[in-house]
Amino acid sequence: MLSMLTQVLFLFAEPAPISEPATEEGGIQLLLPHPDELIAGLIAFIIIFFFVWKWAVPALNKTLEARQAKIRAEYEAAEAAKVEAESLLGDYREQVAGAQDEATAIVDEARVAGEQVKADIVARAEAEAEQIKSRASDEIEGERERVAGELRREVADLSITVAEKVVEANLDDDMQRQLVDRYIDELGGVH
Amino acid sequence: MEELKGAIAVMGYGLAAIGPGIGIGLVVASAISAMARQPEAAGMVRTTMFLGIAFTEALALIGFVLFFIA
Amino acid sequence: MEQLILASGACDPANDIICKPDNVIELFKFEDNLFAIGPWGITRTVFLILLAMVIVLTLLFFGLRKRRMVPSKFGVTIESLMQFVRDDIAVGIIGPEGTKYYPWLLSLFMFILVGNLFEVTPLINFPITSRMAIAGGLSLLTWVIFVFVGFKKNGFRYVGALVWPTTVPIALRPLVGLIEFVSTFLLRPLTLAVRLFANMVAGHLMLTLLLVSGWVFMSSVGEIGARALIGVPWFAFGLGIFVFEIIVAILQAYIFTLLSAVYVESSIHIEH
Repeated sequence: MLSMLTQVLFLFAEPAPISEPATEEGGIQLLLPHPDELIAGLIAFIIIFFFVWKWAVPALNKTLEARQAKIRAEYEAAEAAKVEAESLLGDYREQVAGAQDEATAIVDEARVAGEQVKADIVARAEAEAEQIKSRASDEIEGERERVAGELRREVADLSITVAEKVVEANLDDDMQRQLVDRYIDELGGVH
Repeated sequence: MEELKGAIAVMGYGLAAIGPGIGIGLVVASAISAMARQPEAAGMVRTTMFLGIAFTEALALIGFVLFFIA
Repeated sequence: MEQLILASGACDPANDIICKPDNVIELFKFEDNLFAIGPWGITRTVFLILLAMVIVLTLLFFGLRKRRMVPSKFGVTIESLMQFVRDDIAVGIIGPEGTKYYPWLLSLFMFILVGNLFEVTPLINFPITSRMAIAGGLSLLTWVIFVFVGFKKNGFRYVGALVWPTTVPIALRPLVGLIEFVSTFLLRPLTLAVRLFANMVAGHLMLTLLLVSGWVFMSSVGEIGARALIGVPWFAFGLGIFVFEIIVAILQAYIFTLLSAVYVESSIHIEH
């Protein structure tokens, strides 16, 4: 277990010579740059620098510019859409208001027309009723006159008949009275 | 005397670290009170604080180098 | 076992409380060639340097390969890293003309970041920036660039303004000028290199000593009995440092890049 972990921990590490006597000027060695490492470090840094300078920074700038342009375009589009929507809304508001006025006018007109029609109908109905009434009373009058005329004619006929009968039979008083009574009875039967 | 060399170098570094230690404490304390007074200037104060620390630290760093050289 | 004691030297768990190597150089030097390409022998360190380069190129390539409108998670990470270097370091420190130095700063950042993170990468466990060759080489490059930029932008006024600062009283000018000159041309590259180098060396030493010494003690429980328990806190402490070293690795890459930007900025604007 320990040796495994050791190997993992120091995978890259070369075992340093142990118990080598410490050199006289050990400290200063740590402080002085090692030429190989200095060269490797400078080369590595210069490669990084050129990569950053020629590729990374322009790439990021391009990305940011593209993002900025897109956001600006979207913002402007949204702004335009908003203006359009507002004008549309105004139009619709106007239209709605116009429609309302129109509807009110139509209703008013309809009401006036309705009133008129109602008045017409009432007047016509009244006139008709008047007409019917007068015609009915005319008819009644005519009927009455006709009946009266008929009655008169019949009375005359009866009178003539009675007269004939009176003339026809020699009549005594009794008979006369009887005759007259019968006559009257007949008359009553007619009526 | 040769055997005491290491110990003297360590003491030298310890002494060299006293001044910068106090100095950095003062720098950070002022920076904190400045940030507390003006939180909106905290970013600028933090940058300046790091600069102050960096300049104050120089003496301790020279002491560190001398520790290795000695 | 012998290999494990690579770090701890001839460690005697029965007597020593922490195993330390005879010479720390052994932790950082790999003289034997892993393999050789033609006349050039590739040691482990050189191999890791080239590996770091390949990793940086691969990361950038796969992060930016597809120019998608909606990038993947990995793409977003790479893009935000690049924009962080551009906005916070290049443009944030140098100003609008910082975009000119942006590729250089980005390559610095990526290379150092990957090199630093090798410290906590399993199976590698060796920060290439703990070699003075990398830290010193990169800081030398920074030095060359900021001196070149200073002369190019300001001519000889660059040195003149440094050694004869007109903003201080005339009596102090030689002194301040001398300090400024030394600090700019000697201390700047030195501290830049040593800061990175020292952080990585210290981190690597701490990790190796604590983890290996903890492991050596715990594994020799048969020989020293209950005293092997001392390995447990060593190992736990080592794991804590391990997490801390991740932060240090990222922070040091950031600081190296930030300071490079600051030095270039101070070469462009010499007034202050």
